Amino acid sequence: MLFLAPNFLGVLAFTVFPVLFSIMLAFTNWDLRLHNMFKDEPLKFVGLDNFTRLFTEADFTRYLGNTLFMMMGIPFSVGGSLLAAMLLSSDTRGGGGRTWAWLLASGGLVVSVALLAATGLATTGMTILFVGVACGILAMGMLGGVTVYRTLFYTPHFTAGVATFLLWKKLYNPESGPINAALQPVLDTLAGFVNKQPPTAVSGLRWVFLTGVAALLLWAVSKLCRMWNEGELSGRAMVLPMVLLTLPTVVAMYWTQTRGMPGYVLAGVMGSVGVWVLLRVFVGSRAFLPPTGGEGLGTGLMIALCAMTVQFILLGFSAVFANLPAMAADGLEAPKWIASYDWAKPSLMLMGLWGAIGSNNMLLYLAALTNVPGELYEAADIDGARRFQRFWHVTWPQLAPTTFFILVMSTIGGLQGGFEMAKTMTNGGPAGATTTLSYFIFIEGFETGRLSFAAAVSWALFILVFSITMFNWRFGNKYVND
Amino acid sequence: MKYLFTAVAALLIFASLAVKLSMPSTGTAVPVIYWVTDPNPARIEQAAGFSAWLIKAGHGERVTFTRVDDVSRFQKRRWSDNLIAAMRSTNAAGPKLWDKNLQPLAVKEQDLPLTISYPPVDLRLDYANSANEKKLIQGVSGVGSEISDLNSNTLHFSQAVGICDDVTQRALELGFDPGQTHPAIVPDLTVNGRQYAFPCNVSVGLYFVNKKTFEKYGVEVPPARWDTQTYERIGKQLVDAANPPGQRRTVFFADEVRSIDLYRSLGLSSFNETLTRCTINDPRFVQAIKLKYKWMYVDHLIPSLAERTGFDTQTGFGGPKLQLFNSNNYAMVTGGRWLLVQLRKFGDLDMSISEYPYFPGGMPNTTFYTRCAAVYAGAEQRDKAELFLAYLASADYNNQIVADADALPPNPKYADSEAFRNPPDHPTEHGIHQPFYEAAKNIAIAVPACPFVLKSVASRHINEAEDAFMNNRLTAEQAAEQAGRRVNEEIQRTLKEQPKLVPDYERRLELQKKIDAYRLANKPVPVEWIDNPFHRKWYAFNHWLAEEGGTK
Repeated sequence: MLFLAPNFLGVLAFTVFPVLFSIMLAFTNWDLRLHNMFKDEPLKFVGLDNFTRLFTEADFTRYLGNTLFMMMGIPFSVGGSLLAAMLLSSDTRGGGGRTWAWLLASGGLVVSVALLAATGLATTGMTILFVGVACGILAMGMLGGVTVYRTLFYTPHFTAGVATFLLWKKLYNPESGPINAALQPVLDTLAGFVNKQPPTAVSGLRWVFLTGVAALLLWAVSKLCRMWNEGELSGRAMVLPMVLLTLPTVVAMYWTQTRGMPGYVLAGVMGSVGVWVLLRVFVGSRAFLPPTGGEGLGTGLMIALCAMTVQFILLGFSAVFANLPAMAADGLEAPKWIASYDWAKPSLMLMGLWGAIGSNNMLLYLAALTNVPGELYEAADIDGARRFQRFWHVTWPQLAPTTFFILVMSTIGGLQGGFEMAKTMTNGGPAGATTTLSYFIFIEGFETGRLSFAAAVSWALFILVFSITMFNWRFGNKYVND
Repeated sequence: MKYLFTAVAALLIFASLAVKLSMPSTGTAVPVIYWVTDPNPARIEQAAGFSAWLIKAGHGERVTFTRVDDVSRFQKRRWSDNLIAAMRSTNAAGPKLWDKNLQPLAVKEQDLPLTISYPPVDLRLDYANSANEKKLIQGVSGVGSEISDLNSNTLHFSQAVGICDDVTQRALELGFDPGQTHPAIVPDLTVNGRQYAFPCNVSVGLYFVNKKTFEKYGVEVPPARWDTQTYERIGKQLVDAANPPGQRRTVFFADEVRSIDLYRSLGLSSFNETLTRCTINDPRFVQAIKLKYKWMYVDHLIPSLAERTGFDTQTGFGGPKLQLFNSNNYAMVTGGRWLLVQLRKFGDLDMSISEYPYFPGGMPNTTFYTRCAAVYAGAEQRDKAELFLAYLASADYNNQIVADADALPPNPKYADSEAFRNPPDHPTEHGIHQPFYEAAKNIAIAVPACPFVLKSVASRHINEAEDAFMNNRLTAEQAAEQAGRRVNEEIQRTLKEQPKLVPDYERRLELQKKIDAYRLANKPVPVEWIDNPFHRKWYAFNHWLAEEGGTK
């Protein structure tokens, strides 16, 4: 106990006390302009005023939206980490069937270097450089084995945050950054190609993506219905995923880019699906609302969220293709990244994705992959399982506890994060596009001195984190244990 | 295991003691005060100048030695280099106590008695705590530094928090009262008539014009004063001549245009006369930001944020714009006289100065800024720190600012000199300095500080709305409405949170009604009714002011 005392006292003084103090703060009118050692204004208990203010504060809603938007990158970062871990758990040394890859990489490297030497850093120089670097990394992996990749992938995690933010700021430079330098020649070529095609043929491609939206809706709904039919999903637990799945169609009906015929078609599909679901419910053998509550909600939500995200991405692509002929007529311009309101958030998300793929999540997956019993794979092989089936029926279920842990931690990190990035790269701009809740807390606390309101925002954030984590535990944990 | 822990603990204690004993002592012969400032090399010279000035101005402490041993003991006290360099014997022919390398010299018996004057305080620089949030938290926690550099935004917040010492009385005693600085900057140093700071320097923004860029493209050099039409005409000529069609634009007329200077030229300020309401929701604001948008995205006279970021490959004091100015990418750059500190490094640039453009028939104007020093209200050595503010008003300090071109000297009388106008060491700069002094005297206006909303909060809301318009998220009219509404909501929120402010607010509202009635009746308005420095200037520009001591 004596040896634990320093640590214990430290936690009490620097963690427990501030946390308790901030709870008290959130229910008072503590404002640095009124309450500090130089002021004698009495502190007042204001009850829930600071919390009710959150509902009327336009900034809070907006910055919460920014935070949630940026969290949309979490599934991709988790998937990226898993992919990275799976790649890094396999032997990459040359030899056997991989010799051709080694030769290809070396060839690519040599050609890139030769082109660079011959043409200098002209407009396509950066593209060649990227290809060269990629081939170089591939060749290094062939020679040095998986250790090279593990080191490279983990580099973002042990590099200081601010340093990487500054690096990305340079990469995102719209005029002289390497990303746009590589992207612009590709876009120029694409614009040239598009301009040669009949405009209706190009814009007609939007229907391919809209079909994808409808197909995903059908797939997700039928999947949910099947689960319900097989008793894996309760009727109650089906409602929220269904609502989420309708969102892209609702947005398509009102969004200026998809309003009109595309919106109506999607609405028609959604209506037909709705009728079909209702028919299944009424002629189904199971009661839609059984006495037990949210059975299978976690799984249902996961399916709905994934489908919804992809649906939105497809909607975006459909809008891009609809406008592509007009855009290409004036030449396609590379994004302005963090200098543009529309691209600022995705830019930070991309950067976060880069950092997250090679983070501790990857290490956790690497560790979990080594714990998957080999006999399960042997059994799958005997059953004739193919590569994807091995993953889907053996690896993925075995990784479920790790995935669950990573998702919970990423969600917490996502809700709390964004401050350093915004402060270093964008100052919360342009026009507040990258201001997250954590940055808002900083502004309220240190720019206006309203410590009590800042504490209330912090506790609202905590409640959000806690609710989502509880939700995950309640439904996700069950899914994991199942 | 417990033996291992004990051994580690003992080792750590031993290492801590060793570090403590090997560290140089921080104790000094005189009290130490800290100046939280930016890491500008000029600060070192200024801090040394303060020690010397203390002796020169008679603020030194005296000690008389009658025994050699006492001198030796005195020399052994921990003196900083600045203090040693500043020490003086009261007898000019008296012996020196230290040599050139600041090593103690032996004093002989026949030199005694000897009286030495030494600075009563040791000023040290603190670059590590210059972030606003650090100053704030340290201040309210009772451990703030004695002197802090603040700016127009942060002074009013620090004063509201209570961490700035009211120096009104001491300023009168020591000669650093508002009368010793530029009248237009006084609103940035005072709150409700009480003084809380004194400027380290003051700055007015103007355009530095690189004449060679204009010569290169065969375009006339801009005049000293111009309206928006002339600005646009010359600007278009330059960018059209400099940027071949179909290629990436690399030459811009100017690095920046600020909407505040544009809408103020039309008679609009962000607040009304009595600072009770944000008035930015006005067609003049809309007109100003629309013109800025046109210059940025249609005429390409100034770079967009993305284009500016694109140029941002190199940074430094003053940012990359100076390199771009030197390389003819920016024909003009905005900034105060302090830009010369860096521009001198590019050699002898052929430059002229132009004011910011104003709408035809409007009022030429620019914004007055200050970096000022305030004394921490909780400091034990407040009286010593106040001496530093007196030093800022002194000839020694002001002449140093004049020589270094570190913006304008806080005391305007030192700018009214030949050394300022035509610095002998920089003959190519003759004619460059005077416009800054003239602008400070005639057209510069401080940004208004509303007592009911923090300056930083108001400017954040206004800038964010303007940004949203520039990014096509809002129309200009919506941006104006949003900015005005949000700042006014902040005012109401402050009044709700701080009911003590309500009587003053209501008094001002009554006064505003009277002003509005006077304006409606076309009657001249007494200047003392107007708190907003912009409106004082605007009313004077339009001859709407009553004579001093008029009807109240």
